[in-house]
Amino acid sequence: MDTPDQINFFRRIRAALGHAPDVSRNASHLFAEGPSPEELQLLDRIRRRTAEGRQALLERLVEAGKPINLSVTALPDVAYASAAIVRLVGEKKPEWGDAKHIAAWRHPLIDRLNLPEALDRLQVPVHATAPIPIDAGSQFDQVERERQRAGIIASFIGVTSADFCLADTATLVMRNRPGQPRSAALVPSIHVAVIHLDQILSDMKELFALLRWDERYRSEGLSNYMSFISGPSKTADIEATMVHGAHGPREVHLFVVTE
Amino acid sequence: MSDISTEKYIEEARRGIANPVLQKALVGLQDRFGRGTAEAYRRLPEGPDLRIKAHEIREKAIANLDVLLEILADKIRANGGHLYFAETAQEAVDYGLAVARRNNVRLVVKGKSMVSEEIGLNPALEAAGIEVVETDLGEYIIQLAGEKPSHIIAPAVHKNRHDIADLFVQKLGIRRTTDPPELTHAARKALRAKFLAADMGTSGVNMACAETGHITTVSNEGNIRMATTMPRVHVAFMGMERIVARLDEYEIILRLLCRGAAAQTMGTYASYIGGPRRPGESDGPDEFHLVVIDNGRSRILADPQFREMLYCVRCAACLNVCPVYGKIGGHSYGFAYSGPVGAVVTPLLTGINRAKDLCQGETLCGACRDACSMNIDLPRMLLALREKLAYGDAAWQVKPASRAEGLAYRGWSWLIRNRRLYELGLKLAATGQKLLPHRKGMLRRLPPPVQGWTQSRDLHPLAEETFMERWRRTRKS
Repeated sequence: MDTPDQINFFRRIRAALGHAPDVSRNASHLFAEGPSPEELQLLDRIRRRTAEGRQALLERLVEAGKPINLSVTALPDVAYASAAIVRLVGEKKPEWGDAKHIAAWRHPLIDRLNLPEALDRLQVPVHATAPIPIDAGSQFDQVERERQRAGIIASFIGVTSADFCLADTATLVMRNRPGQPRSAALVPSIHVAVIHLDQILSDMKELFALLRWDERYRSEGLSNYMSFISGPSKTADIEATMVHGAHGPREVHLFVVTE
Repeated sequence: MSDISTEKYIEEARRGIANPVLQKALVGLQDRFGRGTAEAYRRLPEGPDLRIKAHEIREKAIANLDVLLEILADKIRANGGHLYFAETAQEAVDYGLAVARRNNVRLVVKGKSMVSEEIGLNPALEAAGIEVVETDLGEYIIQLAGEKPSHIIAPAVHKNRHDIADLFVQKLGIRRTTDPPELTHAARKALRAKFLAADMGTSGVNMACAETGHITTVSNEGNIRMATTMPRVHVAFMGMERIVARLDEYEIILRLLCRGAAAQTMGTYASYIGGPRRPGESDGPDEFHLVVIDNGRSRILADPQFREMLYCVRCAACLNVCPVYGKIGGHSYGFAYSGPVGAVVTPLLTGINRAKDLCQGETLCGACRDACSMNIDLPRMLLALREKLAYGDAAWQVKPASRAEGLAYRGWSWLIRNRRLYELGLKLAATGQKLLPHRKGMLRRLPPPVQGWTQSRDLHPLAEETFMERWRRTRKS
């Protein structure tokens, strides 16, 4: 789709680069047909990672989390994770009101936490972020989105999972999908993420090698919105004093299930 | 275009030097980030030489800018996003305004973006009756104060906690406190209401990737994530040079960007945006627009001397080591970009004659080149600008900056080629200098037009006996 603004814009760039202004150039040499030797090594390293290797990554993740105020806790199974969340809900105070609500992703691992049941005793409502049926019509779509948004805004804790976690920088990697809204990890004052041990990667290089070349991840790509989250929101804009909780969550708790 | 006051460089620099709050803040800033960034480069697994690799990546991307932008545009459109290519600042602003009007936007939340400072987005939206709220804490503070950013990453570095306390009491009606966490919380509360009520969010672009068809934004506060997630419409503004071909190349740029900007291994949030909310998703904007901006960049692209400037990712590492920025502060530069990057890019974007003092004011010490995350040779380009100002340049419409200076140098060149006259001149000057004020054997003041040389230092007087006289004398004996 070449709009007039685009045609003129590209004419100027090509002329500035010394090329014929009206000829669209091919530059397939800029891209790669397949993984580089370095990427093949990375993919191989991920594939061959042993239980000890995963444990070592977990330890690196815990260390990397410390300077950025990310609390990382390893737990043997989902029941422990569920209990840990219940404890947080009980201990922490809401920032914007008195009522305690939480929001939780619709996600296989998060569903296994049985949060509505676990929090029933504390009488804390859980706003589940179910996918919106695509053929439900625009009015339903609108109403349902408003409802989920209101639930997340009312929540002081947002519970999500993640696609991966990068050990070297303590970075959670999430791709937006139906049922897994990004605002659940952003708008509530406390973000709780629950992941499985084998979702930990070493660094961005491993992540990008997977996203570029592993068939399991390549088809979905980066999705329309992928986020990297490394610890709680922070600012040092007032006299260079570090303050956590600028606009995003003030606390981030990561529970790693090692079952 | 936004207000440009590069002509007031000297006047503003004087004001900056005389401002004790600014001086203290600048020392702290450079101490912390200048050293931290050098250390962060050293700690890279690949070492500081990764900057050389990054330079190559950027060079290749800029040499193929047409191809990469075309691919990015196709992918974002295929994902349901809109693209607009703006030749001028005005076109970019007009497009943003048209999107806002079409969506009946009343409140815009803005993620920090230097390019929207460059194009003057805020004043244009406000003139159309739309409320615009800066959401980066530093930018919010200076917006409330009615000022301009003085640093690319730390825009409110020139204000201390007492200034901010007074400002928040007056503008937000809070109980007075000078505690940074309490002040931050007051802004958090005020801005949360804005994020949730806004109809449109705007952002810049730190870097786009052609292969995946995404733009990325990086922040520590989460304001850009808020501004690009909660409102119905997201408009991103991008200087046309902010793109690389592949994801593995992007990885290197991102790591260096975070280190250059704040000596961090990773910013808190990096978001990859490829289009609007998809069916079935409950959040994210209904509309996503990407405005790619030329505004003078294709002219820089066409000039091999200055093309390297387009490799810049605006991390601001050069500000944190520059001895000139460290004394005069960011307001002196009179445009969105300050420090060494501003001293090169501002003349190129706004006119070399108009911003002539910026490149003349730098010391050419080379600290910026060593700190640059993309290993850009800024001193080389500062010299190239000075050359244009000395001799004029038709292609850039530069007139020689000072006719008198040109004449003086021509006279000097003639004089030193006439040995007798030169020696006579030296004798006269050696005698004449006795009439000038002295202190401890040094000259305290030179007469006009060279009085500037002694404005802040004393000069050695000319020797009684010249080198040539001494040579002749000692050789005879």
